[in-house]
Amino acid sequence: MSTFFKLLFRNRLAAMGAVVLSVILILVLITPLLPLQNPDITATADRFQKPFADGHLLGTDHLGRDLLSRLLHGTRLSLAVGISAALIAATIGSAIGIIAGYFGGRTDNIIMRGVDMLMAFPYILLALAIVAALGPGLMNALIAVAAVNVPFFARNIRGITVGLAGREFIDAARLAGMGHTRIILTELLPNVLPVIIIAMSTTIGWMILETAGLSFLGLGSQPPQADLGSMLGEARSAMISHPHTSVVPGIMIFLIVMSINLLGDGIRDALDPRLRSGALSRPRATTLVERTGDVPEATDDLLAIQDLETQFHVNKRIYRAVGGVSLSVKPGECLGVIGESGSGKSVTALSVMGLVASPPGVITAGAVRFRGEDLIDAPYESLRQKRGDRVAYIFQDPLSTLHPLYRVGQQLAEAIQSHHKISKAEARERAIQLLEDVRIPNAESRVDNFPHEMSGGMRQRVGIAMALANEPNVIIADEPTTALDVTVQAQILSLLDDLRRDRGLAIVFITHDFGVVAQLCDRVAVVYAGRVVEEGPTGAVLDAPAHPYTKRLIACVPELGGGRRMLSAIPGLPPVVDDLPPGCAFAPRCDKAQEKCRHIDISLAGTGDRSVRCLYPEELV
Amino acid sequence: MGGYIVKRLVSAVPVLLGITIIVFLIMSLIPGDPATAILGSYATPENVEKLNRDLGLDKPMVQRYFIWLGNMLTGDFGRSFSLNRPVLDEVSERFNATLVLAGTAFVLCSLLGILAGVISAARQYGLADKAITFVVLIGISVPSFFLGMMMILLFAVNLRWLPVSGMYAIYGGGDLPDLINHLIMPALALAAVATGVIARLSRSAMLEVLRQDFIRTARAKGVPERRVIMGHALRAAMVSIIPILGIQAGFVLSGAVYIEIVFQWPGVGRMLVDAILKRDLLLVQGGVVFVAACYVLFNISVDVAQSLLDPRIKT
Amino acid sequence: MTILSWTRRGLLAAVGAVLIAGGMFASATAQTPPGVLIVGQIAEPKSLDPAAVTAVNDFRILVNVYEGLTRYKSGTLEVEPALATSWSISDDGTEYTLKLRSGVNFHDGTPFNAEAVKFNFDRMLNEKHPYHDTGPFPLSFFFSAVKSTDVVDDMTVKFTLNAPYAPFLSNLAYPTGLIVSPAAVAASGKEFGRNPVGTGPFKFGEWRSNEAVVVERNDGYWGEAAGSQAVVFRPITDANTRVAEMLAGGIDLMVEVPPTSLGQFSGDGFSIAEQAGPHVWFLILNAKEGPFADKRVRQAANYAINKEAIVNDVLEGTATVAAGPTPPAFAWAYNESLDPYPYDPEKAKALIAEAGASGAELKFYVTEGGSGMLDPVPMGTAIQADLEAVGFDVKIETYEWNTFLGEVNPGLEGKADMAEMAWMTNDPDTLPYLALRSEAWPDKGGFNSGYYANAEVDKLLEAARTATDQNERAKLYREMQTIVQEDAPWVFVANWKQNAVTNDRVKNFGLEPSFLLHLQGVVKD
Repeated sequence: MSTFFKLLFRNRLAAMGAVVLSVILILVLITPLLPLQNPDITATADRFQKPFADGHLLGTDHLGRDLLSRLLHGTRLSLAVGISAALIAATIGSAIGIIAGYFGGRTDNIIMRGVDMLMAFPYILLALAIVAALGPGLMNALIAVAAVNVPFFARNIRGITVGLAGREFIDAARLAGMGHTRIILTELLPNVLPVIIIAMSTTIGWMILETAGLSFLGLGSQPPQADLGSMLGEARSAMISHPHTSVVPGIMIFLIVMSINLLGDGIRDALDPRLRSGALSRPRATTLVERTGDVPEATDDLLAIQDLETQFHVNKRIYRAVGGVSLSVKPGECLGVIGESGSGKSVTALSVMGLVASPPGVITAGAVRFRGEDLIDAPYESLRQKRGDRVAYIFQDPLSTLHPLYRVGQQLAEAIQSHHKISKAEARERAIQLLEDVRIPNAESRVDNFPHEMSGGMRQRVGIAMALANEPNVIIADEPTTALDVTVQAQILSLLDDLRRDRGLAIVFITHDFGVVAQLCDRVAVVYAGRVVEEGPTGAVLDAPAHPYTKRLIACVPELGGGRRMLSAIPGLPPVVDDLPPGCAFAPRCDKAQEKCRHIDISLAGTGDRSVRCLYPEELV
Repeated sequence: MGGYIVKRLVSAVPVLLGITIIVFLIMSLIPGDPATAILGSYATPENVEKLNRDLGLDKPMVQRYFIWLGNMLTGDFGRSFSLNRPVLDEVSERFNATLVLAGTAFVLCSLLGILAGVISAARQYGLADKAITFVVLIGISVPSFFLGMMMILLFAVNLRWLPVSGMYAIYGGGDLPDLINHLIMPALALAAVATGVIARLSRSAMLEVLRQDFIRTARAKGVPERRVIMGHALRAAMVSIIPILGIQAGFVLSGAVYIEIVFQWPGVGRMLVDAILKRDLLLVQGGVVFVAACYVLFNISVDVAQSLLDPRIKT
Repeated sequence: MTILSWTRRGLLAAVGAVLIAGGMFASATAQTPPGVLIVGQIAEPKSLDPAAVTAVNDFRILVNVYEGLTRYKSGTLEVEPALATSWSISDDGTEYTLKLRSGVNFHDGTPFNAEAVKFNFDRMLNEKHPYHDTGPFPLSFFFSAVKSTDVVDDMTVKFTLNAPYAPFLSNLAYPTGLIVSPAAVAASGKEFGRNPVGTGPFKFGEWRSNEAVVVERNDGYWGEAAGSQAVVFRPITDANTRVAEMLAGGIDLMVEVPPTSLGQFSGDGFSIAEQAGPHVWFLILNAKEGPFADKRVRQAANYAINKEAIVNDVLEGTATVAAGPTPPAFAWAYNESLDPYPYDPEKAKALIAEAGASGAELKFYVTEGGSGMLDPVPMGTAIQADLEAVGFDVKIETYEWNTFLGEVNPGLEGKADMAEMAWMTNDPDTLPYLALRSEAWPDKGGFNSGYYANAEVDKLLEAARTATDQNERAKLYREMQTIVQEDAPWVFVANWKQNAVTNDRVKNFGLEPSFLLHLQGVVKD
């Protein structure tokens, strides 16, 4: 609950809305206690007094009644009407929606056709007709406004209920022999309630506007009773000559509706679990760079990651996802980067081309050099020109990484056309060629497929084809085979291997599977808690792992492709990177750890092409 | 696709039939009768009864419904007694005016709303986002008729930039520039609320989409950022924006009632309000059926557009 | 096409449209053309068939397109010759023989003659007439006294009445008596109301639904040709928008200016015309049951309501306080010696206490608008406050005009204690005869919704109706007014001074007491 309020008030607009609304609510609640004039007493000789006139802070209306007093009494009434109309509409509408969604089938069909009919009926006319049938009065206007909003709630809630009704816990409740009423009340309702509340909070404002509209058409509260809509309606004829009489209720309506909307938005966001994790913020085009300290010197590697530090700033917490990683590849070389989930290997890979989502990601130190040029502080356009052209990516889940609404051919063509001016026809030719290169049968027809029309393996081939489109120098493959089954995985790996050999590609291969590394990579770097803990030629590391963590990882791999299942074999969990221990991050899980390991910052040390970050390595390197 | 459209059209028939029943029932339930409205101040119970008989309102309700429905199916919507002319003439004429107004407002609110939402999302928490959020809030927090009246006061009466009301200049107008001139204020006032709603929802839809993996893929292949936003992200976001447009179209159509009154637009909304007040049964019934049919058709085309945009939807 | 490009194109189109519009700002404010008078009307006309309409709003157009056999002399409510040049009345008052004006043609070229007159009245009154189905004719009862219409010769027509009926000539001048072209009715049938043909100074041009009715100068008019080349009647239902159009120069002339907006037109560039007419705004009191069954309580209501405040403040001086049931505009029949009930809440309280009606609950029907109702809601609210001040508990119920009439005309019994009402008439007979006689209770087909009954009043009204001598009639009406004021079946509130605003390009404009809008002589630069 306190997090809820903290989140709510972190949103400054929502906080403003809450403050304005509470001020209005408090004023309205204490209205009967305030020393106000009687809102209904007329004094026609004193009509149309300007605001700040003697005895009338906001002036008077066309019958000389005190506007301040009418405003507060009117607001009281309008709020009451708006809230009750929203409550009524929400209750009835949700009930209908839940019933339709829960029972489905014919019930659903009939109810929803009815809802369709009501929605096709222009709602103002429906309200007008209802008021005409019921007779005048604010109560009837309330009923009309509530009635016309029922279909919207019904449709909304039905959609959500349909989603829930198919879920396991409802089936379970059914199997447990619960009755429909009980399931609806105890299982469905609690899950739908937040949505209803959010929908209602945004509807209240709308209700107030609609009642004002009905009053505009002359159907609302009965004189002399004041509500905001009728005040606005009564003041209308004097709008040109005495604008203050309509501006006063107009501003009040504006304030109420605006504050309700702001607050409603705030509540919606605060209740949304994704917002807490920062997931509702938009990632920028490139990762934010806030580099402190010196930038490492250039090397002659094709691609060099140097002392890279990437952090996630979520609220006040800082997650050090990458804590000073240095890696490099040469042309034609394949570097494996291996580690558990959350070790920072993917973030390292994404940092190369500034693809870490930001916010919350921030690159805080180090450099990434492509042929010696630092990409970290490169201007957006120069970075963009290299993305996909010189350094290309292959991502993990090809279903979510391909755009669902573009044909694969278009997506391939686009990759080329983003860097080369070629005609549509040429681009299509090239796309077909690429599909053939990655051994997709019937490339001619496949090129017009949408991603959802292809199998997982096919899609991943498309992903690879896309990476190859501009004949890049480096491909960064971020767990490209994890989502695939074993046979497809093997095909993809051999495809990548062929391509590397044929085209002299450098590959950075991110994985958590030593089996894959063994099959493909020349060198391997083992990453733990955002740092490289061991690095060396694949064969050497596999044969004689120096870091205890590496040894455990290797021990988990009985055969090709079984990696994912086995990682749990290491007792304990990887550390949370916002609270890293000062010493070796693996120490808590390491059975060889000494007291010293927990306190000293251990450096990556070694000779030749091997190095390890351990005080007590398994092997001396 | 063709089969899908036919299927949807067929499924619209019971909805429209239901609407004829609802509107007929409601109009029958409203107290007061057309004879009183025709006779005005001189409506004595005796005169009223005679006139109601002349108008055929003494027949049982069910019988009247089927007579009306039968006539309508043969294209005869009856005669409006308050306007003294065939319902179909009046409705189709007025409906055109509403389509021009509501159509323009709808295009405006869709374009402006989506654009505002996209900019707002792309510049989340930036100055543009805050400015847009604020303007949008004003749009959705002010009753449209109030906004319209304020606009008249400012732009027509004080600044004299635009005509106060009407659809064409009353003398010597009638061409397209004249129409646009008269259309600017009412269309903007009508679009205000829907623009706000669409902008807010487009913003969240865009934010949702911008987090998706395929956006990262687009960036990784070096697609220029503008195209990432306006192409990849917007296209995906449109999947959830289009149904919103469909709903907002209904609100725009309904909201046109107020705007037509304030700006004296010769549209069908104002006509229907008058017709309800005058108990002009046939005019109300005919008009509502017309509007509802248009709304239903529009929603079908929204669904068709949706299925064209999103190949994953089975048609 | 990609979304990017269509978004961009759409934007360009929108921006382009705004720019084009911007370029046209100049044309937007261009003034209305000279010679074409643009009139802001309060509503779309229902029909332009004079026999089929009831609203003053429609009459304003009709009297420029059609003419009657008689008309009201300018500035008065006295009858003078129009399409009839002279007439004679039989001694028993039941036969009216009218000589018709020769050389008059309808706009369609067909001649005006006795046959045409007969056609007009038979169409309205004879259910078997072949064109009776072009109705309904709601005000045909204005001529219900007519037994037959006969053609004496080509240019003479004779009306035979079933009883003497003094207001007959005045009723002929009322818009319901305007003469339409028989040939045009035959040609258009039910559509005649949209294709009107008369003999007036203007002929029908076009009717663009809800935009304008255009009438053009009739060059073949028998009298003096109209001063304007054309008149455009624009229906602008929203009073606020009508005022804005007037201020912005979109219309040259507007009628029924909302009282609160009158101040806008006090400066240069506009002139305001005012004219009292035969109008009474009153409250019907339910004399059959409840507190108002007691005369003292009815009188108390008359004392309790501050009518001066209503006419001067709420109506901004666009009305005067009414003294009795007959408006002063009927000068010859008006009782000058009657003074309105003064505003005296103390006296009202005393009367109420005497009648034992203190704290009585009253239900008050208020309409939201309507013909001649002025500003019914603010007026009703002010009345409610005044009645509360003397100790009544008044509950208002508002109704839209047609519903309101549906509630009020069948009588207030069992529903309400009081209701707003207003009448505009052309003869002092009409209102009291239809709304104050005991024979005019709703169940007998009249409009006496408050069930007032006084045998003396009944007698006076019957006598006045059949008397042919105007002085005799005047005496009877004055006597009736004294009694009715004392009995207080109504609260007499206001007599409206109708108003109109013209801009400074309009010359020779004046309002008529008859509430009709004669534009023949109006010139616009």
